[in-house]
Parts: sequence; structure tokens; C-alpha cells
Amino acid sequence: MKISRDWLQTYFEEELPDASVLAEALTFHVFEIESVEGDVLDVKVTPNRGHDCLCHYGIAKELSAILNIPFVPKKHERSVDDMLAKKTDTISVTIDNSLCRRYIAGHLRGVKIGPSPEWLRKRLEAIGQKSINNVVDATNYVMFDIGQPLHAFDAGKLKKQEAYAISIRMARKGESMITLEDKEYAFSDAMMVITDAHADATIGIAGIKGGKTSGVDEKTKDIILEAANFDGISVRRAAQALKLRTDASERFQQVLSSNLAGYGMRAGIEIIQEIAGGELVGFADEYPEPEEERSVSVSIAQVNQTLGTSLSESDITRVFARLGFLYETRDGKISVQAPFERLDIVIPEDLIEEVGRIIGYDKVPSIELSVFPHKPETNKNFYRSERVREDLVSKGYDEVYTSVFADSGRRAVANKVGGEHPYLRESLVLGLEEALKKNIHRKDLLGISEVRIFEIGTIWPTPSRKSGHDGKEEIAVGIASEKEGVSEQLLKDMALTTLQGAGYENLPVSATERYQHFSKYPFIVRDIAMWIPGGTDENEVLNLIRKEAGKLLVREHLFDRFERESRVSLAFRLVFQSFDRTLTDEEANQRMRNIHSVLESKGFEIR
Amino acid sequence: MHPISSLIREANSIFYNMGFTFAEGPLIESEWYNFDTLNVPKDHPARDMQDTFYIKDEPGYVLRTHTSPVQVRYMEGEVKKGNTPPYRVIVPGKVFRNEATDMTHEAEFYQIEGLVVGGDVTLANLKATLTRFFKELFKNANVEIRFRPSFFPFTEPSVEVDMRIVGDSAPEKLRDKWIEMMGAGMVHPNVLKNAGVDPKKYRGFAFGMGLDRLAMLRWGIDDIRLMHSADLRFINQF
Repeated sequence: MKISRDWLQTYFEEELPDASVLAEALTFHVFEIESVEGDVLDVKVTPNRGHDCLCHYGIAKELSAILNIPFVPKKHERSVDDMLAKKTDTISVTIDNSLCRRYIAGHLRGVKIGPSPEWLRKRLEAIGQKSINNVVDATNYVMFDIGQPLHAFDAGKLKKQEAYAISIRMARKGESMITLEDKEYAFSDAMMVITDAHADATIGIAGIKGGKTSGVDEKTKDIILEAANFDGISVRRAAQALKLRTDASERFQQVLSSNLAGYGMRAGIEIIQEIAGGELVGFADEYPEPEEERSVSVSIAQVNQTLGTSLSESDITRVFARLGFLYETRDGKISVQAPFERLDIVIPEDLIEEVGRIIGYDKVPSIELSVFPHKPETNKNFYRSERVREDLVSKGYDEVYTSVFADSGRRAVANKVGGEHPYLRESLVLGLEEALKKNIHRKDLLGISEVRIFEIGTIWPTPSRKSGHDGKEEIAVGIASEKEGVSEQLLKDMALTTLQGAGYENLPVSATERYQHFSKYPFIVRDIAMWIPGGTDENEVLNLIRKEAGKLLVREHLFDRFERESRVSLAFRLVFQSFDRTLTDEEANQRMRNIHSVLESKGFEIR
Repeated sequence: MHPISSLIREANSIFYNMGFTFAEGPLIESEWYNFDTLNVPKDHPARDMQDTFYIKDEPGYVLRTHTSPVQVRYMEGEVKKGNTPPYRVIVPGKVFRNEATDMTHEAEFYQIEGLVVGGDVTLANLKATLTRFFKELFKNANVEIRFRPSFFPFTEPSVEVDMRIVGDSAPEKLRDKWIEMMGAGMVHPNVLKNAGVDPKKYRGFAFGMGLDRLAMLRWGIDDIRLMHSADLRFINQF
């Protein structure tokens, strides 16, 4: 979520530090920061804080707690009671299911639609939002400011009898609506809609999008402002099914407090009146089961026994105070009431996390675990694989891993990105055959005389009486070499000596320090054989070759040597390869000619 | 040998000496173990955090997206055998994410999970345990560990763990740089409860780290796809 420092500043009297300082504070105390561009931070709000932190208010509260800067509550934070006191009977609201927990409709007469004032346009544009008109911008502003999605209907486009009638109900199969963007969506009966009951017309998809026919335009005079609370799961399913994810649906699916709707309505009405005028007729507030206040208790001992700290009661209560939590302490227990929007504070561990992150995890000491009272058990499969691995490596086999995904098999995945190789392998054989083939032509480059590989991996064999497979997931050992071909056996069927101790704890590990990047270009092989006088330094011969061949020589080895009378015959295999291009035969030939002439100049006879 | 096999062997040896048992679980896993027991409810946005492979025609089954299901499987098994905590296990193994592959992303890769449960386990123990692991893995280098807040449904509190190797003995490319290594935290009481362990009596910590990424850092490997390439130009370097 994009957060502007300028916007955050509206919550503080004290000048906020630079965006980079804010980013660091958030990183180490609450959220990762994806990027900082100028004064705008892209904050990665975690799913547990979607209730309260997908808005500037939430982030400002965090910064107030983290940096310990006093927080200036806004004017819309007046008491809930007087907030929506002005009732009206010009709108009737009915809710026919429990997935809508609250619906507030605010009636404003005589607004003047026009462009937004500059401060509002700038605010929205800073976080990547397009300015539309003053009323729509005001609803978006409230959402990005305090997290409550709002929607404005043009009352003039709704049917009025004695009153306007808004009904929130499940859609009927086959019902559809055209959105403000001129796209038509057909509903299933699992989706909730907002309807104009007198006209029996859908005017909004609950928590997701408003309809075109009731949308605000330049001629709009009277509006009905919606601030509601919809069930997170139902909004999430509908948005997924309709492939219509909006800023509103992203927030509702995280689950919002129903109390927030009241604050959202009040803030929306105030801003609209300020920038578009209009007279407040009043509110209709359908709130069947008001949310209860919750409190959670944690003991000082619990905090310290979980974090490994030795914090005092006041260390802990200071954190709660900075977060704006109400608390009472009694006998080492702290009972906490978090603000209503903090729906994530449910169990004592949630409070412990608040303490840990606000004081900073750098304050958590590093303490060794106590000595474990038992000897660790031996894992049979791991023991067996380690023994097999050691045995095969000692016989000169190299271990490969191949993919479990295959072109055929009994079982498959249903939703693979790209759709290729969706099956789960029944055996290691095909993968090893392919690996063998791939490596055989690189033997000279690798400097080996035979490719011998093995894999220890999971397979999903087809059940069959003949093979004895019962269809379960199995670990198999596959061995492949040029001479023996490819064979496979189940790990559990392999004969091994019995266990001693855990038996696997002290095996050798790779001593390699750094991996060397290898060339992806083809290589060229050339052989050279010569006679040299007995007593010649054979290493010197190799050095001459290396020097003439230069950097393109990536591997060389003596593959034949014999002595006859007083002379020695040497035969080298030379492998040429470039890191940045495909070598031509002529380049290799040129190197070979140079090598020949240097060797001949030393009096060696090229064979 | 394959660098991941070497790394698993080495990690197991380090953790074995700290009392950890090697544990394992199936790659085709039920949603129950992969999500529900780990406190990830159905239709919760947290399920979107991991791109999951679903098994065709086998509703309720997935390719495990992490090694964490083995936490509950292991604890359940111990409870059934009548063994109460303390428990210490590591779970190195293959996991899957349904995403397009590139130099740093693979659909199949390796993780190592750690789980410690006992009457006196703290977040401070997690810090020391991981510090010791990295110190031994990087051959007595001077290793620092840092926690940042995070969120995982199966831990509370949850942290991201960064590591830094300082001093002259550090590999040059890694020296003095904070590197994000893994997610970790204190085991969520619901996870203990789901496994039949009383969260009022026991607490635990858990961590999960990508082994491919660790191998890439350790040896300077530039492409994660080499791990499953079966290319001996790669394998034979280890």
C-alpha cells in the first residue's frame, strides 16, 4: 500500500522525520517496505494487519508508537454516540442476511459536483490514484485515510416512494449489473448485492463496486453515501469469481470492524460538505448486532518467558500506552483493550508480539537452548539414503537431482503455471536417461571417461502386483551409466548393514569454497600426439601447450603415454571453449597450428 | 556430491549435536496438514501467500508448499507414542510453489524446517540456535543474527531472520551484508493444540529456510535452476 509522508503528517503536530527514517522504523518494528520514492513509501502490510493498516491512519498510529511521537487524533474521532445522531426516515435500509453486519446510508441534499480542490487531488495522485470529481474523490480519500470503503449513489437516479429503499440481499441467479466502468457482471446466488428495492434494481456489488445507473455524475444533486461492513470471506469469493478486485474488496476481504463504518460515514460527510457543499438530511444505520468490546490478558511472566527477556511491568505497559491500548494491571497480569480496529489482537501471544516488536527484537537476547535430555533418533530413510549415497559416490557415481514433474504418470497437478509436465513421475528412469544423454557428449569437457550418475528421489509408482507397488509415495534410488544403462530400486528394498548410533552424523561434506560459473557455449576437442626425447620434462611440454592455447583451453589431459627405445610418446586431449561466443573450427585450428610449431621448434616430432 | 545433499548432511550434523532429530513427511500432503493444522483457515487471505499446486482428481490434496506440515505430523506421532515434550526436530525436504521459474525461482526446491518444543523455550533461544547454526556452517565465521517483525499464521510472534557475516574470515561477497535468510517465530498455540500438545504447558519456536538459496549464497551459485539440471558441469564442482 502506498503511503505518503505528507498525508501522514496530518496526524502529527511535530515534523516527521524523512521518508527513509520512517521506512527504517517501519521495517524494524512492523512492516517490510517495498520501496521509497520521494515522500511515498510502498508498505507491505501483512495479512494479519489488513484490518487496520491499509490506510494512513493505521500507519500513522504505528509510527506514533514506534517513534514515540504524540499522535493528534482527527476531528472525526469524536465519540461514536453523537456521530450519527441525526436520524432520517427518508431512507429505509433492510438487510436480509448475516453477511452484511452493518449498513449506514447518509443522505445529503444539494451537493455541487465539480473538480476536487488541489490539496485533495495532490494527495490522491501522490499515491497513484486518479482524481475523478469532488464527491468520488472524497470517498476514496476516506478509504485511504482511515480504511473504510465508501460509495456515493446519485439519489436522483433511485426510485423514491415515501422514502428511498435500499435492500442488501443475496443476488438472484441470472441477475446482472453494469458497473461504472461499463462492464457487465452476472451474479451467482452466493454474491451479495445492494439494490434499489422500489425498482428491484441492483445498484452495487456488496463491498466491491457500484453500478453505472446509480453513479454520481456532473448533474448529481442529492447523494446517498454508503458506509457498510461486509463479510470478508463472501467479498473475497465474489471478487475472485467475478475477477473484479478493487481497493474496496481488498479491504473488506481482510475483515474490517463494523465500528469503522461509523467513523467512515462521518468523515465522508464532513469532507463532502466541505468541498461539495450540501445539506445533511440524516442517517439510516442498520446495525443488527453491534460489535462487542474485547479484552485480552497477558502476564508479565508470559511475556518474558516467551521472548526470553526480563522486562518490567512498566516496560510492557509503556508499549501498550504508545499503541493506544487501554490496560489495567493486577497481580502481574495486564488486561488490555485494543482499539476496535485491531481485530488481530485476540490471544495473549498477540500482545507479546506487540511488546516484542515495539521495544525492538534487537532487545531480545541470544540464549542457548538447554541441553537436550535424550539422544536424537535415527531417521531410517535418511540413514539409508546417506549410506547409499556414500557407497555410490565412493564408486565414482555423481549425484543428480531431476524434476518430479513429467510428461506422463498416474497422478498430476491440476493447475500448473504454463501447463507443461503436469504429471508426477512414476519412476526415476526417464529423468536419468535424459540426464545421461545430456552429459555423455560433455565427457571431454568434464574430463571423464564414462558418465555414471545416480538419483535418490521421490516417485509415485502405479500400483501393480507384479512390481509390488501399492501406489504410495516412495523413495527410489536410480543408477545410470553408459555401460550398465539405467536401473531403479526402492530405497526401502536395498540391502544395508545395520544401524550404529545415528550412523549418519559424521559423513564428509563438500569442501568447495566457491562455485565457478561455466560457459554455456559449445566446446571443440582436438588431440595432439608427439614423440619427445627420454628425460624431457613432461610438465614443461604441457606448459608449452597451455601457453600457446591461451585462455580458450579449458581442459587438457594426457590420455596416452608409452616409451619406445629412448623416446616417449605423449598424447593429449585439448578442449577449447569461449565464455562469450561459439568458437569456430578455424579458431581451434589456429591454436593447434601454433602449438604444433612451438613443439616442433623444441625438436619434438608431432605424430 | 550434489550441493543440496551436502548442505543437508552438514545441517543435520550441526543440528544433531544440538539434540535435533531428522524428521520427514510426504510431498503430496493433505490441505489439512499443509494449511488447516497450521492455523491457515480456508478462504483466508493467508492462503494466497503461497501459490499452491493442487492434485488433479484428488480433492483436498496438494504438493506441500512448505516443510511445516511435518511439525504437526511429528508432534502427533510423539503424542500417540506417549512421548511428551521436549521435542527437537529438523525437516529438510522438497517443497513446491506454483510459479514461473527464473534464475531465482523454482517450482520445486528445498527447505529446512526446525521445531523446538518444551517447557522453557523462548525467542531468545531461537536467536542463539540460529546463530550457532550459521556460525558452524560458515566455519566459525563471526555471524550476527537480526529479527524483523513478520507474519505467518503458524507462529506468533513471527519474525524474518537476517544474517550477517562480519570480519576478515567472511567470504568476500557476503562480508558485512545483511541477508534475509528465513521466516521464524514462536509456534502459534493453535498449532500445538492441533497436534495434541498443551499450549498452556509448552511453548516452542519454529523456523523454515530455503536450502537452495542458502546453497546459492554459500557457494556463489547464480541460477537456482542448476539444482535440478542434472548437469555435471555444475554437480562436479561440489
